[in-house]
Amino acid sequence: MIATKGLTRRFGELTAVDSLDLHVEKGEVFGFLGPNGAGKTTTVRMLAALIAPTAGGATIAGKALGTDNREIRRRVGVLTETPGLYRRLSARDNLLFFAKLYHVADPEKQVERYLKLFDLWDRRNAPAGSYSKGMRQKLAIARALLHEPEILFLDEPTAGLDPEAAKTVRDLIETLRSKERTIFLCTHNLDEADRLCDRVALFKTRLITIGEPEALRDALYGRRTVVHLAESIDGIEGALDLPFVKQIDVIDRRLIVSLGDPEAENPALVQRLVELGAKVQFVTELRVSLEDMYLDLMEANHEPS
Amino acid sequence: MSRLRILLIKEWRESLRNKMVLFGVVLLPVILVATSVYMITVGEGADDAVGQIVLFNTSLMYFLMLPAIIPLAIAVYSIVGEKEQTTLEPLLATPISDTELFLGKALASVIPALIVNWISFGVFLGAIRILVGSVPLQTLTAPWLASIFGLSPLLALFSVGVTMIVSSRASDARAAYQFSSFAILPGIIPLIIYSSSKTLVDLRLVVLEGGILIVACAVIMFFAVKLFRREQILTRWK
Repeated sequence: MIATKGLTRRFGELTAVDSLDLHVEKGEVFGFLGPNGAGKTTTVRMLAALIAPTAGGATIAGKALGTDNREIRRRVGVLTETPGLYRRLSARDNLLFFAKLYHVADPEKQVERYLKLFDLWDRRNAPAGSYSKGMRQKLAIARALLHEPEILFLDEPTAGLDPEAAKTVRDLIETLRSKERTIFLCTHNLDEADRLCDRVALFKTRLITIGEPEALRDALYGRRTVVHLAESIDGIEGALDLPFVKQIDVIDRRLIVSLGDPEAENPALVQRLVELGAKVQFVTELRVSLEDMYLDLMEANHEPS
Repeated sequence: MSRLRILLIKEWRESLRNKMVLFGVVLLPVILVATSVYMITVGEGADDAVGQIVLFNTSLMYFLMLPAIIPLAIAVYSIVGEKEQTTLEPLLATPISDTELFLGKALASVIPALIVNWISFGVFLGAIRILVGSVPLQTLTAPWLASIFGLSPLLALFSVGVTMIVSSRASDARAAYQFSSFAILPGIIPLIIYSSSKTLVDLRLVVLEGGILIVACAVIMFFAVKLFRREQILTRWK
């Protein structure tokens, strides 16, 4: 659905996006993560046919960037960093304007549908300027969805939303995924990315890494099992002589064991610990959060200025 | 409905809800027409025919300034308003073309300016006809009519072009308004020429100014069109 090859954008001497190679499948929720100034917005602007790449190219929804720009804009929806609403116009007029620009078949009906979906129908005639931050964000998301785009670019969709509204947006993303819509999600909310995205890309001018969050964690940190013991046992790490154990760290009464295949190896690990006299309270998997992984990778890719 | 028409309707809807724009578009012409009628009917020198003709001539010059002032008010708020509300990027993300966007913004300012100017002119003539009679209307010669109907679109277009260029660099409406104000100069220049030479409006002067305005409009619009490209708006505008 989105394929880029060597996509590059320079602003004078500054390179904002450097040789980006991406492939996003239809129906995929793809997280695009990176710090402020990493070039995420520039990337989205290029992919939404708003600005031209300096080098490289891309195919969006089967259309070539640069030759079918208008058709690309017809097929994608963009939620920008700020809601960008006409404050003096009512919520309904805001949406109607965009629905008509996209030549939506029945604009009135479509606007009603989305205003109701986001619980804004009762205040449809109020100026958008009188809306709360959360309501404005919901209205902006409704605007991006009005023309039922094949690809949706969402820049921080839950920023400024209360937990209930944020859940509405996340549920909506799940619904869109089930309808085979492709979602390109730029976010700083790494927990959200972890929960929603099929794959994530860590990006800072260049692509740092890309993959499923779980697979990235495994590749970077391996899989680790935490065994909580009722009481500590001296020298247990030396006694645990199982061939599949890669590394053992002991922290108080916890053993952190690196394994290759925990599902297969955990039973033997627990059995051996019991044989050694350990009183196992419970066994969990140590999950490195996406946030920790993000911070480690960004630190590793930090270029001193 | 064409995207240009959709944009025009949106622009006017927004303008109608903006008090500053309404002041420039409605109140200013009302004040100028009322003042002119008052001057001609009860002002100093209004008691003789020559005085009335001089006052009438002076009043007609307002209708060369209005087509420059009115679009300035609309265009400033239309463009800087989009910047302030950060609505440009969502708008540019739609299939609207650069040309439709440019024309939408330009015509949204020029059309009301011409309509309001010509309606004001009609109201002014009607009021004079009723209150004074036909004497001053004799000075409404072909050169004057050519000025008001022929130069008005060019004056409006020049004003919009200047305002579009200034607004692309300005971050707030007040600054854009101040810097764009010199766009009304072409409307004032004939006023200065007519006043200093103490002549009535001359067709040669009208044609000369028309020619100069066409060139000026072409130059201004060339730069305005270049500024109104998506790429420019998103990467160069302040």
